Amino acid sequence: MEHPILFISVVLQKLGLPVPHGAVGSNFIEQICAPYMTYTWFVMAFLFFVIKVTIGDLELIPGRGQNFWEVVVGSMDDFFAENMGRELADRYFPMIATFALFITVANLIGLIPGFMSPTASLNTTLALTLIVWITHHAIGFKKHGIGYLKQFAGPIPLLIPLMLPIEVISNLARIISLSVRLFGNIMAKETLLSILFLLAGGFFAPLPILLLGVLVSVVQAMVFVLLTVVYFSQAAEQAH
Amino acid sequence: MSGVKKEMVHLLANYGHVGFTFATSIVIGFAGGVLLDQKVFDGKTAPWFTFIGLAFGIAAGYKTLLDVIRVAQADEKRQAREEQDRHER
Repeated sequence: MEHPILFISVVLQKLGLPVPHGAVGSNFIEQICAPYMTYTWFVMAFLFFVIKVTIGDLELIPGRGQNFWEVVVGSMDDFFAENMGRELADRYFPMIATFALFITVANLIGLIPGFMSPTASLNTTLALTLIVWITHHAIGFKKHGIGYLKQFAGPIPLLIPLMLPIEVISNLARIISLSVRLFGNIMAKETLLSILFLLAGGFFAPLPILLLGVLVSVVQAMVFVLLTVVYFSQAAEQAH
Repeated sequence: MSGVKKEMVHLLANYGHVGFTFATSIVIGFAGGVLLDQKVFDGKTAPWFTFIGLAFGIAAGYKTLLDVIRVAQADEKRQAREEQDRHER
């Protein structure tokens, strides 16, 4: 499908850098200049600078910017602690909170014309998912040692040949369901928006979908974070 | 966010992934079976591993459903306990 105008790609083309016409480029520089890569960096820079500018120096009596971020970070911290315990929440807060902020901003940015959601590419969501998946196994092995493997064996030794494939399959399903759900929802939103915009943009046809897009973006980011929290707490809890 | 809206988002987050995870489990089981049949045993065992993989995939799908129920029950139990604590105080 023809991309709508993406302003970073236009700027890169003016600078003489090769922007791939397909989803991914053929060589290294083209791959780096692919829209989902450049917009990933844009979201990273946005988060970094906006937080830096709005917070500035931490003060004892918070100003407006610091107040906002205190509410955001505080409610996320409460949410994590409620769902996976204080200890785990303290240790993994930076990672999960970064994911939450990044995914939310990355989802929402696609609603603005000229921007694209980096999460509308399977590469981005699969990378995020693999980090979560590997981390939750790392948590399990760290907590239970080699006995973590018992979680995959089921409750009765006799049933191991039956339970092992089931547990392995349902564990592998986490990778696909987590990554493809986020990717599918956001890509559907982007595609629907661009089609409606091309067909009947003058009659405000994309407007209801824009509204739904806000809901989908926030809910999908929340689903991702909630599932991450659930997986972490399941890996850390005693084998059932 | 108001209470009702927050609850709706929470419910969507908790149960919105159920269908997708179920389908994914079946697809992974099936694909594993086909892979065993066609690539590992060169089609000599043709339909059997596919069926076994499919059965395991479906079982894994139901297992993910049970996991969702287990998490929900644990949530409920914790909430009930907190409520009780509040009453006792």
